[in-house]
Amino acid sequence: MSLRWLLRRLGLVLYTMLVVSVIVFGITQVLPADAATTLLGENATAEALAAVRTRLGLDQPAAVQYWHWLSGVVTGDFGTSMRTGQPVGPVLMLALGRSLLVAACALLLVVVLAVPLGVVAALRRGGAIDLGAGLLSYVGVSLPEFVTGTLLLMLLADWLGWLPATGYVALTDDPADAVRHLVLPVLTVSLVLMAHISRMVRSETVDVLHSDYIRAARLKGLPPGRIVVGHVLRNAMLPVVTVLALDVGYLLGGIIVVEEIFAIPGIGRAVITAITSRDLPMLQAAALIMAATYAVANLLADMALSVLDPRIRYD
Amino acid sequence: MTLHRRTLLAATAGLAALPHLARAADPVRGGTLRISVDQAASVLNPLLTRVIPEYLVTGMLYSGLTLLAPDMTAKPDLAQSWSHDDALTTWTFVLRPGLTFHDGSACTARDVVATFKAILDPKTASPARTNVGPIDRVEAVDDQTVRFVLKGPFADLPVALAYTNAKIIPAAIAEGDLKQLSQKAIGTGPFKLVSFEPDRRIIVERNPAYYDKARPYLDRVEVLVYPDPTAEASALLSGDTDLISLASASEFGRLANVSGVVPLRIPSGQFLNVNMGCDVKPFSDMRVRQALALTVDREAMVGFVAQGYGTPGNDSPMNSAYHFFAEQPQRKPDLAAAKKLLAEAGYPNGLDLTMIASDVPGTRTQMAVAMREMAKPAGFRINVQTMPHATYLDQVWKKGSFYVGFYNMQATADAIFSLLYTSDSAWNETRWNNKEFDALIAEGRMTGDDAKRQEAYAKAQKLIHDEVPSVIPVFFDLLAARRAYVEGFLLNPRAAVFAFDQVWLGAGAPKRPA
Repeated sequence: MSLRWLLRRLGLVLYTMLVVSVIVFGITQVLPADAATTLLGENATAEALAAVRTRLGLDQPAAVQYWHWLSGVVTGDFGTSMRTGQPVGPVLMLALGRSLLVAACALLLVVVLAVPLGVVAALRRGGAIDLGAGLLSYVGVSLPEFVTGTLLLMLLADWLGWLPATGYVALTDDPADAVRHLVLPVLTVSLVLMAHISRMVRSETVDVLHSDYIRAARLKGLPPGRIVVGHVLRNAMLPVVTVLALDVGYLLGGIIVVEEIFAIPGIGRAVITAITSRDLPMLQAAALIMAATYAVANLLADMALSVLDPRIRYD
Repeated sequence: MTLHRRTLLAATAGLAALPHLARAADPVRGGTLRISVDQAASVLNPLLTRVIPEYLVTGMLYSGLTLLAPDMTAKPDLAQSWSHDDALTTWTFVLRPGLTFHDGSACTARDVVATFKAILDPKTASPARTNVGPIDRVEAVDDQTVRFVLKGPFADLPVALAYTNAKIIPAAIAEGDLKQLSQKAIGTGPFKLVSFEPDRRIIVERNPAYYDKARPYLDRVEVLVYPDPTAEASALLSGDTDLISLASASEFGRLANVSGVVPLRIPSGQFLNVNMGCDVKPFSDMRVRQALALTVDREAMVGFVAQGYGTPGNDSPMNSAYHFFAEQPQRKPDLAAAKKLLAEAGYPNGLDLTMIASDVPGTRTQMAVAMREMAKPAGFRINVQTMPHATYLDQVWKKGSFYVGFYNMQATADAIFSLLYTSDSAWNETRWNNKEFDALIAEGRMTGDDAKRQEAYAKAQKLIHDEVPSVIPVFFDLLAARRAYVEGFLLNPRAAVFAFDQVWLGAGAPKRPA
């Protein structure tokens, strides 16, 4: 992993973000209705629409609007939301922080639970754990989040009353309550991820177990524990790392449904509101953040791969 | 000049109610109330708010000259009394003495004048501009007295001035940079803004300098955003929140049978309608519109679209929640008559039509689909097309000739008719342009004589019922729910009006850190 490679990759990340911003801006230009229409709703008169468009700068040509936006971003100014008039940067950072918290907890839970579960299932193929894990996986994969989320909500919050139903409490406000509010959304998201990660770990492990070098290790007389940890796991984890990196992207954009159900004001909800209200600066910035997380997560995965597998080199 | 009769009535009614109030549990001071709302309160500037959660928030932070009581009369707010000349063209409002804004500065007639200048300025784009009446100019007579000079006689001015966007702001802001009000709030309302995070939580605290020394009772109010109705109901059931300001019909059943939760329900003038472009074929022929109206089973519509929480509509936008409501014979489904009317209009083989319904709220689509099925046997072959709300606003609303509309109740007969149905209305969706109707509405607004107004509005309601510029199959009830310990909360049929200064927490309320 050379510095040149790293710089080149970072350059690519920036280029990706620029392309994304152009595409998102272009799409908003062809969408029917603009921020003025949605702001005024059924209070719109031709006069009011014109006044609001002037105020928001929507009366200027698209290229000029994009240029204003881009020159702001370069200096770190993401503009103000057309919907609320709040500065976009701080508002989105706050939302991103919440989504990251859910994502980090979910990812941790998945790595801690799904990886061992997959390995054990592979080692004891056909056993009770394998069947149980398989069943859980199929349920997790086949049920969409809004079903599992609602079921968990009704079971743990409505009927048993163990957890608060929904809502978001900041860690800084009341840490204990914040954690209680996190449990349901994290469980819901993890269930989906856990399913496919544990299935993947299982099948990779099974493949590796059948490989020649594991047979060689066995014949060499290595104890089973060392074989699993030192040889099987290390090789089986390679594709899993790549998939986990993609999951980070899913966690930051794809959990919109979960954020909606549990009323978490994260980045996913910010995007939905920005789209329905045609709030350009907010949408642009949110798209950039998502693109950046995808790109950076992939970069980190590539770096992790080279650590796991010394044969992989980047220069 | 005479003291306005309604003010006098309000004052005497208030006096009569006092001994009764004393017998009920007395309000107690203190506590935090958590209210849930179903969408973000994005806009904080009271002149520009446009959805109910925003009205709810700005209603706590700001006051108007008058306020709208649940019986649709104007009550004193910042103005303690008002009077008018015989022609109903010059109105004088006297402010309460010693009013202050949240920043401690005095609120005087000058602020009122500056606020109305900002409202009437097209550049502000305030929805109030077309809703506060035919104001020509506003003048400060002295620090405490404001004079409204109108372009013509207007009997409903005190009620019109209670409009949700006609909130008084400091002159310095009204004449300067209005943008400031998107982040902070400087009003005269019962509560002061603590924090504003539009998509999650808005917090306000008691304003100790409120003009009524006894109120508000609450120390603090938190407004929490729950976009998912199931989650919103669960939060109330689990005790996370204390009050659902407006509950959805789909969750109301779940809230109705739980101990500790009190469901609230009142009839309202909120309705769905099917607008028809009366200036284009086939709707330019009144018989086609009447035929469509005759296919609709309104009782079934209440059950299907409002899940039973509503009342049948009768093709007039007014119902019993309004003053000057005049009941018309209820239109019942009559497919034979509908077919006959269609044939007479020149469509013996029926008609092919495309009805457009936006996806917000979801009831628009439900009604469109129900109407398609109900109208089919009479020969209407309706193709229902749904679209995202933003697209609808841009391409169909006010432009299309066959689509589903959804409207909140307005405060007066004049407001709803001159918003939607007169030839010069702000949103003349149906292009009905009926001169006789216009004259009746004008007559109603120009006289202070209630008997004459009743007569004019009764004729107008008969006309709109008979000629059907839009089919109005269903009115919605307003639904809400509170924990049993939340006292003093009243639903207002206008939906956009709340009075949280009247709310207090009774026995059993949870203790929350302030």
